[in-house]
Amino acid sequence: MRKKIGVFVCHCGINIAGTVDVKKVAQELSEFPGVSYTVDYVYMCSDPGQNLIIQKIKEEKLDGVVVACCSPNLHETTFRRAAQSAGLNPYECEIANIREQCSWVHKDKDKATEKAIKITKGIVEKLRWNEPLQPIKVPVTKRALIIGGGIAGIQTALDLANSDIEVVLVEKNPSIGGHMIQLSETFPTLDCSQCILTPKMVEVSKHPKIKLYTYSEVQEVTGYVGNFQAKILKKPRYVDPDKCTLCDECTQVCPVVVPNEFDLGLTGRKAIYIPFPQAIPATYTLDIEACPGVLPIACGKCWDVCEPKAIDFDMKPEIVEEKVGAIVVATGYDLYDKKNMAEYGYGKYPDVLDGLQFERLLSASGPTRGKILRPSDHKEPKEIVFIQCVGSRDPELHNKYCSKICCMYTAKHAKLYKHHVHDGQAYVFYIDIRAGGKGYEEFVNRTMEEEGVLYLRGKVSKVFEENGKLVVWGVDTLAGQDIEIRADMVVLAMAIRPSSGAEKLAKILKAAQDTDGFFAEAHPKLRPVESLTAGVFLAGVAQAPKDIPDTVAQAGGAAIKVVSILSQPELLHSPLVAQVNEHLCTGCSMCVDVCPFSALSIVEGKAKVNEVLCEGCGTCAATCLRSAIEVKNLTHLQVHDMLTASLGGLK
Amino acid sequence: MVEVEKIREEARRLLQEGQVRGVIGYVRGPQGVWAVPAMIRNPEDVDRLVWNPTCVHNLVLFVVEEKKEQARQKEPDKRPLAVVVKGCDSRAINVLLQEKFIEREEVILLGVSCENSGVVDKKKLLNLVPSQKIEEIVYGNNGHIVAVIDGERRVFPPEEVLADRCLECQANFPVVYDHFFGEKIKKEAINTSPGVDKIEKMRLEERRRFWEEELSRCLRCYACRSVCPMCYCTECVVDPISFAVEPTTTAEEKAKKIKWIEKSPLLSENFVYHLVRAIHLAGRCVDCGECERVCPEDIPIRLLNKKLEREAWRLFNYVAGMDSQAPSLFSTFKETDPEDFIR
Ligand SMILES: Cc1cc2nc3c(=O)[nH]c(=O)nc-3n(C[C@H](O)[C@H](O)[C@H](O)COP(=O)(O)OP(=O)(O)OC[C@H]3O[C@@H](n4cnc5c(N)ncnc54)[C@H](O)[C@@H]3O)c2cc1C
Ligand code: SF4
Ligand code: SF4
Repeated sequence: MRKKIGVFVCHCGINIAGTVDVKKVAQELSEFPGVSYTVDYVYMCSDPGQNLIIQKIKEEKLDGVVVACCSPNLHETTFRRAAQSAGLNPYECEIANIREQCSWVHKDKDKATEKAIKITKGIVEKLRWNEPLQPIKVPVTKRALIIGGGIAGIQTALDLANSDIEVVLVEKNPSIGGHMIQLSETFPTLDCSQCILTPKMVEVSKHPKIKLYTYSEVQEVTGYVGNFQAKILKKPRYVDPDKCTLCDECTQVCPVVVPNEFDLGLTGRKAIYIPFPQAIPATYTLDIEACPGVLPIACGKCWDVCEPKAIDFDMKPEIVEEKVGAIVVATGYDLYDKKNMAEYGYGKYPDVLDGLQFERLLSASGPTRGKILRPSDHKEPKEIVFIQCVGSRDPELHNKYCSKICCMYTAKHAKLYKHHVHDGQAYVFYIDIRAGGKGYEEFVNRTMEEEGVLYLRGKVSKVFEENGKLVVWGVDTLAGQDIEIRADMVVLAMAIRPSSGAEKLAKILKAAQDTDGFFAEAHPKLRPVESLTAGVFLAGVAQAPKDIPDTVAQAGGAAIKVVSILSQPELLHSPLVAQVNEHLCTGCSMCVDVCPFSALSIVEGKAKVNEVLCEGCGTCAATCLRSAIEVKNLTHLQVHDMLTASLGGLK
Repeated sequence: MVEVEKIREEARRLLQEGQVRGVIGYVRGPQGVWAVPAMIRNPEDVDRLVWNPTCVHNLVLFVVEEKKEQARQKEPDKRPLAVVVKGCDSRAINVLLQEKFIEREEVILLGVSCENSGVVDKKKLLNLVPSQKIEEIVYGNNGHIVAVIDGERRVFPPEEVLADRCLECQANFPVVYDHFFGEKIKKEAINTSPGVDKIEKMRLEERRRFWEEELSRCLRCYACRSVCPMCYCTECVVDPISFAVEPTTTAEEKAKKIKWIEKSPLLSENFVYHLVRAIHLAGRCVDCGECERVCPEDIPIRLLNKKLEREAWRLFNYVAGMDSQAPSLFSTFKETDPEDFIR
């Protein structure tokens, strides 16, 4: 028996009705086979509009409803709920998108109307074969995995743990803290970065709900929202943190010196080291790459002097498994590789620094105890040049995007320089100043006006060394003249890049990256902390360059998104999943290979769908040569009939 | 040179030892010189096996047929089948392995090299000599084909009598086998498809007319599909007739069968049939040329296959049937795949 279908055509004010003759759509559809009721209304999504649908489903005993309106992304849920409240299965309600796909993109009213009719007829044909479906119920593991222990990961972890959710925090470095712990003072208020971050780090380490894995990496993630299994590789530290008393004897005797990552190579560290005094966990790490050998015969000096016998050369990499219900990616950033900036002498001249190195010079705990001194000769630089947008906003050669934070931290750097070197002169080369944020514009203005920092609008073409000076060639586009500055130090605001392991992690999580390599959010406006993979959320610079206030805000957002999943007794998964026609399936496994969600396997020679993993994307259906697999309520037959109807034919 | 006696020896041994349930090979056919496929089950029959330039068929088709037959049997003989495979045929085996239609243990491959030559195109040869008089067709030197006519040997250069696909072939010996007969002589094809070159040079309108002319002759006898070892599906998407209707098929299920194309051989429907067939063979067709050989209307079906073969190579560096372990073309996606067709 044919379904009795009702068609509800929305005007959306003049959004649709301005370009589409909605009355005509309703009229034409009323003559279409299977349609037993049609009406048009000014705002279907309004309360009276929804009530009209509910009332007509009951009165006209409708078996299905087509709402011709805006994109299903917007009101599909609204109308499915309305249909459900009238006693229909929600999957008997379908949306015909005649706004985004029709009225908004056309001008000719006749043609747009004709197209709207075809679209709606197509959906009626689809609905004809729709099956009533029930959501798939999935249990939830009430724990979260956070990857990355910078401020983003720390804040998310604390927000979740304080909401009584168990957290597994994985950090690849020996200590949490991320880049923020390396910073000196932070704009716009110039509070000491370490002073505001370390209390949070301590809280993480002491929180009963947080399990911390440092010097660890996520290797594999299987499962799905609500039920992920993560394999975490714990790299051996060769030091037992429980026994270590932080006496520092080991570093005194270690003969090997390598560049210190924490100071970005401005200082050295030993092969056995603690990254910085407030490191969490507070313990030493033996860098096996630098150590001449774990065999005591090779060296073993540290082992000899370690009184509590905390050093254990036999430690092995360990893989632990954790079950979690949601994942937050907070892997932050790296600076753009200096190799790309040869024209500025970065990496070649010791007094050409990047922003983070300059932060270390400014830091009271840094290599110079907060004094600004040239790495080459430890003299105070009297002329300093800051160059903004190095590798940013340069679609031809480098990154096309704006790294967002550099305008602000350069202003901060110039200001702090002047605080240290009162008689020094600072120059800033910039393209334009982007200081959107509370108190930001004022901050930059003060740097210019109160500190006398010279802002030069223009680009620098070259930096080279001559007689102990760094010669900076640039242009001042406002004055329209070439400029040469003989500086003592040059600081480059290098572009922010996704952290080095981002691509690998994206593959592990099956989470998408945007064209620049940052983790892609599900919707730029409405879902900025969700990734495109269900149950995987984003916080901090991993998603896009941003400063600490924005990072902390996004971390809180990610936490609440996790809570909204983990607080449910069970999750409901869309029943619009793939199904296999075993009679047609030859078990070729092409679908298994293409499924982006690993939802398929071959069982006894036939494809089998894991309905919880399946996202209903239909890639399998498009691949199968035998039409042996298709997505429920979007079957080949439905596609065929939709096509026939949209091409103007009737079966 | 392939010594047919060696093939027979191996076939005999396999059958005598009971290692295989049959040997699929070529025997002299009822029309004299032209070989036909045969399933040899008795060791006494192995002397019938031949190997010569008339062994055109892709015997892998019969492996597929046997596999389907076995699925219908209650207690099928699980022993493997031995099958004689040329270069192209062996690549068909690889595709079946890739698609898990067969397991490697199910076949024992008697690989024969086409050496410097290939198989003859019957039509080409018959244009040069009337058929009744040919007594034997054998391989000569340097890829030449020798026809014995009235007791006299006539030597033909390969360009004159070999099948087009052999002239265009770049992999003229098996890539997978258990026993190998002959020599691996790599030969360079002069052009992998002059036919495609020609069509690519045509203007769109000209091309359309060309295909309209060719495809309007299609009878939709489906000979091309029946002979193709890759067309092994239970139910073909383009075929509105042979829907496998089981006793349990309900009326609703029957109503849900889609008619993508009409049964009648109208030009529009013929187009759809041939395009779907070709697309479904992209990255799978090994160019054994059987479709074109069996077409009663001489439609240049291989041109479509060759065009897709070229595209698969150009876009994805993919050659069908070279590696049984590699994922199939359809099911691979690399981030580096070209996307310039998206505009
Ligand atoms: C020179 C400079 C000065 C700045 N000054 C200021 C300022 O004054 N005020 C301000 O608001 N902002 C400032 N910022 C910006 C600030 O650094 C960032 O907003 C902030 O650090 C972002 O935090 P995050 O946690 O997202 O990333 P990060 O700090 O980069 O932390 C990411 C963490 O994840 C870890 N990680 C990465 N990949 C993995 C993986 N695969 N597995 C496990 N762990 C991983 C990393 O080791 C790191 O610990 C400055 C930035 C720079 C470059
Ligand atoms: S692609 Fe089609 S035939 Fe192959 S295993 Fe999947 S469903 Fe079966
Ligand atoms: S629709 Fe198919 S390809 Fe997509 S997730 Fe489901 S099983 Fe995988």
